Amino acid sequence: MASADWLEELRHILDADLQLRSYKPGQWQELETLADEDPELFRQLPDGAVAVQGTADAQRADVLEIRRARPLGHTELRLIGWMLGAMKAGKAAPAAPTGVEKQAASLGAWIMEQLERPQAEMLPEALTMGGRLYADMIPFLLIREYHGLVDEPYAELEKLLRSFFEEEIILLPLQRNEWLILSPTAPLSDSLLDSGEEEESEEESLRSIGLGLHDMLASEWLGECHIAIAFPIQPSKSIVETTALLRETVQLGRRFQIGSSVHLPWELHLERLLSAIPEGDRARFVEQAFSRSDYYVEPEIMTTLETFFSLDCNVSETAKKLYIHRNTLLYRLDKLKQETGLDVRLFRDAVMVKVILLLYKVTKRP
Amino acid sequence: MAGVRLEHVYKKYPGSDNASVKDINLDIKDKEFLVLVGPSGCGKSTTLRMIAGLEEISEGKLFIGDRLVNDVAPKDRDIAMVFQSYALYPHMNVYQNMAFGLKLRKFKKADIDKRVREAAKILDIEHLLDRKPKALSGGQRQRVALGRAIVREPQVFLMDEPLSNLDAKLRGQMRAEISKLTKRLETTTIYVTHDQIEAMTMGDRIVVMKDGIIQQNATPEELYNHPVNIFVAGFIGAPAMNFITGTLNEVAGALRFKAPGVDVVLPEGKAQALRDKGFSGKEVVLGVRPEDLHEEPVFLEASPNSIVTANIEVAENLGHEMYLYLNGIGNDTVIARVDGRSGMRDGTTVKLALDMNKVHIFDKATELNLFEN
Repeated sequence: MASADWLEELRHILDADLQLRSYKPGQWQELETLADEDPELFRQLPDGAVAVQGTADAQRADVLEIRRARPLGHTELRLIGWMLGAMKAGKAAPAAPTGVEKQAASLGAWIMEQLERPQAEMLPEALTMGGRLYADMIPFLLIREYHGLVDEPYAELEKLLRSFFEEEIILLPLQRNEWLILSPTAPLSDSLLDSGEEEESEEESLRSIGLGLHDMLASEWLGECHIAIAFPIQPSKSIVETTALLRETVQLGRRFQIGSSVHLPWELHLERLLSAIPEGDRARFVEQAFSRSDYYVEPEIMTTLETFFSLDCNVSETAKKLYIHRNTLLYRLDKLKQETGLDVRLFRDAVMVKVILLLYKVTKRP
Repeated sequence: MAGVRLEHVYKKYPGSDNASVKDINLDIKDKEFLVLVGPSGCGKSTTLRMIAGLEEISEGKLFIGDRLVNDVAPKDRDIAMVFQSYALYPHMNVYQNMAFGLKLRKFKKADIDKRVREAAKILDIEHLLDRKPKALSGGQRQRVALGRAIVREPQVFLMDEPLSNLDAKLRGQMRAEISKLTKRLETTTIYVTHDQIEAMTMGDRIVVMKDGIIQQNATPEELYNHPVNIFVAGFIGAPAMNFITGTLNEVAGALRFKAPGVDVVLPEGKAQALRDKGFSGKEVVLGVRPEDLHEEPVFLEASPNSIVTANIEVAENLGHEMYLYLNGIGNDTVIARVDGRSGMRDGTTVKLALDMNKVHIFDKATELNLFEN
C-alpha cells in the first residue's frame, strides 16, 4: 500500500490525522482489540488511535493509524475497512515491474556482471534505456546503510529522486541496498551559471548536490546512506568504469572519512594510493612508525591533527574550529613533537603524520 | 506535539566489541528543550540519530508520543532535523527548499505557500525566498535549514550542532533565536552540542554524556551547582572547576582538607556528611569553581579558616572580570575569577578565601561527588 492521493482525500473526509505505518510480525497482535469490531481488521493503540490493517504478509503489515478527537463511528470504521480491503484485493499480487523498472534491472544486472570481468564489454544497444544513456549525466552511487527497515519499492525511490532533481532520472538497482543514479546535468549547469560573483567550481557544485541529496534521502527516505559522486559522464561509454570508481570511492570513504556520508573520488587520491600498497608493506611501515609513539591515536590528538590538516595546517583556524585557545593548540603540537619527533608545522613532517594517520585507519593498529 | 521516551537504548556497531551508547533512559516531556552535551565521541549524536531514525537501535525501545517507533522510517516519525552541515538543496531556491518536504507529503499548494511564508516571516528571510543557497551567507543558510524544519510543524525538532559552522557572533545571535523560536512554537526539541554555553543557555534540561553513558540528567542550575561527579563538574563551567587532590583530617574537632599550600576547614554540615560516609582520614579531590575563590578583604576577614596564598602566574583582564592563573594551591594551576578592577598583576602573591559552602568533595577512587551521591 503506497502513500498516495487517497490518503489525503480520506484525511479530509474524516477530518482526522492519518498515518500509514509498516508493522512487524507480532506488533499487530500486541495492540488491544476494539469492542464489537473484527480484531483482524481493527485494533486500538495506547494513545486511543484506531489501527486498521491493510495488506499483510509474513514480513510486515501495512496499517492505517487514525487519530481524531471525536470517536470514529461503527459505520465509518466499516467503510474504512471495506476500502482498505478493496485495495488489498487489488494488490494481492505484487505490482508487476513497469517497463522502465525492468530495463533498469537488466542494465543493473549487466553492470554487475561487467564489474566481475577484467575488461568491460561495450554497452549493448538494447540496454541504453531508449537512447537516454547517450546524453551527459551525473553519476551517483547510493548505498543504504540502515537495514532495519523494510525495503521501499523501486517506484517510490525513483519518484522521490525525480522530485528532488525536478527532472527524469535513471535509477539502476545494482544489488539490494545499492543503486546507481544518473541525473541530468541541469542542476550542475544551474549551479555554475548562477554562481554570480563568487565562482563555484564543478567539484564544489557536485559536492553541494551530493550533500543536498544525502540530506533529503536521510530525512525523507529510509535513514542513513552513503553517496559517491563523479564528474558527468556519457553513460553509454563509461558506465561500468564509473560504477567501479564510485564503488571504490564509497569503500575508501567509509574507511577514511569516518563521520562523512558523501564521498568524492577527487578527495581520496592519497587514500587510494595507500590502499594499493600490499598489506605486508603497510603493516611494516606502521609498525616502524608506531614504534616511535602511539601518541597519534589518542582521541584528542587525532581530532586535533585531523582538523589541523583539513584546515591546511592553519593554526588560528584550527584553534577556532576546535574551540580552544591558540596557545593550547601550540602546546598540543609541541607535545606531539616532543613525543614523536615530528613537527606537523613543517611540510615534510606533516606529510609523514598524515600518512601515518591514514594507515592507522587501514590497519587499526595498535 | 509529543514527548520522547528512550527505554534501555543501546547502540552497537557491527564488528565493535563495545556499545557506543549504553542503557540510555530518557523521558523528554512534551514542549521540553533537552540538550545532549558531552565531548566528541560520547554518543550524543548517535543517540540523536537513533531518535531521528537514521541509525538502527541495537537494543531498547524508543517512543515518540505513545508510539513505539523503533521500526518506523525517519520520514514517518513526524520529526524534523537540522544538522551542522545544513545541506540545502543547491539547485532549488529558498522557497523550494522549504516547500520540498511538504510537496512530498502532498500538501495543497495554498497550504504550502502559507506555511513557507509564515516560517520565512518568523525567521526574517522573506526577502531571500527567490535566492539559491549559494547566494546566502552562513547565517542565512542556517535560517533556511531551520525554516525547512519549521514548515513541517513536526512533533519533535532534532538539532545536531546546528550552530557549529557559524562564527562566534552569529552563533550567539542564532542561539537566542532558536531558543525564542522553540518557545514560540512550543515544539519538543532535542539539541546536541559539545558547547556548554549553548547547553546552559538553551536547555530546560541537560543530559551530560561520556563514553556512551549518561552522567547526569538535570536542569542547568542543578548541573552547575550539584554535579554528581568530577566529569560533570569539570565539563560544565568556563573556566572549568579547579580540582585539588588532598586529604581530609580531623583536627581539634574540625574536619580539615589538606593539600600542598592548602589547609582549610570544612563547614560542619559538610564535614558531618563526610564523616558519616567514612571519609575522615581519606584522600579526596576538592572541587572549587573559579568564582568561589575570593580576594575581597571583607570575604578574607569573614573566612579565616579557608584562606590560601598563591602566586599569580598570569592575570588575564577581560575588563569586567579577571582570570588569575595561580600556582601554590595544590599541585596544578588553579584559576580564580575576580573583579576586573581588582588590580592584580602577574608575578605577585595573592591571598584568597575559598567559599567553603560551595566547594565539592569527590571520592578519589570513584570520582563521585560525596555531597550528591
